[in-house]
Formats: sequence, C-alpha cells, structure tokens
Amino acid sequence: MIEEPYRWVEAIANRREYIEGQLAPGSPIAALGYRDGILFLTLGQTRQKLFEIYDRIGMGAIGHPGDIERLRMAAIELASTEGFNRSAADVSLRRLVHYSLSPVMKSAFEQIYGPPYLARMLFAEVGARPEDDMFLRVEYDGEIASNGATYARARQDFAVLSGTRQSVELMEAFLKTEHTPDTSFEAAANSALDAWSVGHMLLQTSDAKELPERAAIAEHRREQLARAAIEAAVLERDGTAAIRYRSLADKELRSLVTQ
Amino acid sequence: MDRSPLGFDQSFPGAADDFSALLRRKGLLSSAVIGPMTRDGTQPRTWQPTEATTILAFKFSGGVLVAGDRRATAGNTVVYDRADKVLEIDRHSIMAIAGVPATAWEMARVLEHSLQYFRRTQLQEMSVDGKVRALSKLLRDNFGFVMQGVGVVVPIFATYDGNSKPEARLYFYDAMGAQFEATDYAATGSGSPAVRGILYYENNWGVKPLHELGEEEAVSIALRALDTAAESDTATAGVDRAGKIYPVIKIVSREGITTLPESKIAAVFKEMVA
Repeated sequence: MIEEPYRWVEAIANRREYIEGQLAPGSPIAALGYRDGILFLTLGQTRQKLFEIYDRIGMGAIGHPGDIERLRMAAIELASTEGFNRSAADVSLRRLVHYSLSPVMKSAFEQIYGPPYLARMLFAEVGARPEDDMFLRVEYDGEIASNGATYARARQDFAVLSGTRQSVELMEAFLKTEHTPDTSFEAAANSALDAWSVGHMLLQTSDAKELPERAAIAEHRREQLARAAIEAAVLERDGTAAIRYRSLADKELRSLVTQ
Repeated sequence: MDRSPLGFDQSFPGAADDFSALLRRKGLLSSAVIGPMTRDGTQPRTWQPTEATTILAFKFSGGVLVAGDRRATAGNTVVYDRADKVLEIDRHSIMAIAGVPATAWEMARVLEHSLQYFRRTQLQEMSVDGKVRALSKLLRDNFGFVMQGVGVVVPIFATYDGNSKPEARLYFYDAMGAQFEATDYAATGSGSPAVRGILYYENNWGVKPLHELGEEEAVSIALRALDTAAESDTATAGVDRAGKIYPVIKIVSREGITTLPESKIAAVFKEMVA
C-alpha cells in the first residue's frame, strides 16, 4: 500500500492518532530551573518516571515502559561512552538529542511496517548559570521542542511533558506567569506541583481552553497529594561535585508543599 | 555497525551488559597484546615505564585513611613529583595505585565509569562485593601487560559499606587480581615493607591501636610512615621539605570522601612529624 504516496500519509496519520491515544493518559512532568539547579517533579504511584542519564543530564518520560527503557539505555550508553572516551564536559544534551535520539525516533515512526517508539521524553541539562540551562522535549516522531527563544516566544526557564497537547500548552501558560528562574527551591517545588495539577486536570476535561481557577487548582492538588506519591529529582547547579543528579524522596518534599 | 561513540546502536544488549563489555563492543578499550618473548620466556625489556609507588591505607576512628606519596619514576629517573595516586571512584570509594600510572589511571577511569553506568542503567547502587570484584576483573584483563613487564598495577581499594552492617572496608590486590580484605591496614608499592613495619608496630605496641586513633594522630602516622619509606626507597618521595610537597591524604567515612587540604597536612607535619 505504500506504493501510493497518499496511502503512506494516511498510514502515518493513523499511526499518529494511535500513539497520541496511547500517550494521552500519561501523568504530566514539570521541569523548572531555579536558582540552585533544575527540579523535575511528577506525581504517581506506579512506575518510576524520572531518570539520571549523565552527570548533568536528567530525563522524564511517559509512554510504554519497554520503549522508554530502550531509549533510556541508549541515551545512557551514548553519554557514558562519550564521557569515558573524551570527558564529562564533552557530553552534551544538544548533541545527544539532535544527532542520536531524534533521527532514530523519526525513522522508526515513519517506517510503517516497523514498530514506532511509544514514548515522549523531557530532558534537562543544568548549566553554570540559570540562563545556560537547557530543556528539550522529544516526541515519538523525533520532533524536538526546546526552551530557547524563537521569533514568537521568549526563552523559557522550564519545560513540561504531558499526555495531550492541550495539557502541555496550559501548563506552559501557567508557568509563564507563575515561575521566575531566580527563585528558591521551595517556590519552584510549589510552582511545579501547581503546574502538574493544571496539566492533570486538563487530561480529565479535554475541552477546556482556559486555565482553571486558582481555588480549583489548589483543591485538585490537595486531593491528588493525599492519594499519590511525589516523585522528584534535582540537577544541582553547585559545581563542587561532578554528579549533579539526585533523586528526592517523597518525605523530603512533602513538608514543603503541604501547608 | 556504526562504531562512533554517538552512533545509536539499536540492538541493545539489555541489563546484563557491563561497561567494559560496552567499551569493547565500541572499540574503545584496548586489550593487552603479548609481544615476542625471549627463549627463557621473559619479555625483552627495552625501556623503563613510568611507575608510581607507596600507598597505604588503614582504618581509624573516623573511617579509612588512604595516603600516597607524590613521586613517579622511570628507572632511576624522577619523572614527576606531584603525581596523584589516591583516586576517587565514587562518593564512597577510593582506589589508590602503585605501579604504572598509564595503566592505573585508565583502570580507575574504567572502574569509575563502570560503577556509574551500573547505577544509572540498573537504578541501584552496586554492592561493595560487586565493586571489589569489578576492580579484580580489570586487573585480570591487564595481566597480559604485566607478563610483558610494562603495566603492573597493585591497587588498594577503600570504601564505606552503607548496607546492612555499616562499616568501612579495605581491600588490597595482587597484580593478577586476587583480592584480600584487610582488617586493619594495607600498603603496596616499593616503599611498602617499611610502611607495613611501622603500621604493624603502631597497631600492636603503639600508644593505641590504629582503629582507635583520632584524625590528627592518624595523619601523623601516615606522614611518618611515608617519610620512613622515602628514607630508604628512592622511588618514594615522602614529604618534600624544600619543595613543600605533601602526600595526598583522603578519608572515607559514612558521610563520603574528604580530601585533607594541604594546609592541614602541613600543620600536622610541622607539629608532630618534622
């Protein structure tokens, strides 16, 4: 059927619809740059969603666990061999995503007789200063969204990942007004949790176009916190230790986010 | 298959692969090649490799102290007097090296990356036994070089076991990779006979046994031991009084690794050794 070009386009569109459907229930992840590093945060009870890739690189992902695992292993393998062969300073998130992960995900997606990667990933790399932090979101079709400035948008000091485009857009809209890059850890943790709540609410009401009311966000946040565990990790900006990634236990954060 | 480090290898070996195997698969780890031998089975030796000497480690009240002098030699030539032979492998582990630094530093690099690779891929810390064994395997892989007489490495491995029974652990190895757990102290390198004598004496007939020493007392014994080794072994530097070069001393404890600043070592040296 792929001899006919429009059939190929149709097949790709079907595949896209299928994957979007599979990813839709994925719990949101927020990554926020703050004064002393980058915070990854999500809520959930089951699978681990935040991972260490290399000294200064962390990853959050939603999708099929088998596919996430393959991509995670590949990213660690690439970063580790580069870090060993050259130096840790030569491991860069930009190269990892642009030259290695994205092309492979794109071709897997477009070869319609083979399986695509059912995964959506959010990477962050901590820099020496907040303005050097890099966030990259990689889609199942290899598309990359960065936090850099474009003609239509200023640079962002955060990035989010969620099941639906709408959820992502409103989480970003929320953080654009709520989050400042030079903030404290405590403020970043609270903004991240609010952003998560916004994203999570949007997954349940698919037709909303506006941000929910503040009170509704707070209510939703309270309900979810009572049920689910906080999963969080930081990439520390402090340059004294080589390894900056540290995962945080639920109890380290809970006292900061429950008033 | 694409062999560049950034090439994306889609046939993932899965969880069982270790980092050395990965490096070999990518062609990034060279293995020893045995060269031609003379009739009596030994290698013709045409040059002197750079070697590093005399490291020691002992348990004291604050964990394990690991110290090394700073000299690297080739034959009877001093190559370098600021060599660092006490290397941090992870937050709680130190590998100290006596032998050929070209091999030893590479070995430390592989070990460091192996432990991190394991933690990142498997999402758990490698056990102390696993770490000790990993170093043993690296030594064994290097045995071809040892047989050629150019790449002998005899390390000490000190770590803190945070598991069921938290305690400091200390191991020393032979060049083939046999691992020995030391109860109180270990020393390797050309100056080690003198160091072992001193540590044995201090442990049995000193003011108190090594494991009861405070930090300053421990540092002073380490300095005295290295200085004694340097007295008779030309390959050991001890303390360079004129150049003000002091040994490297690191401490492994429950909290992690502390590198003693030179000023602190100098103060102890001035007060208790010189």
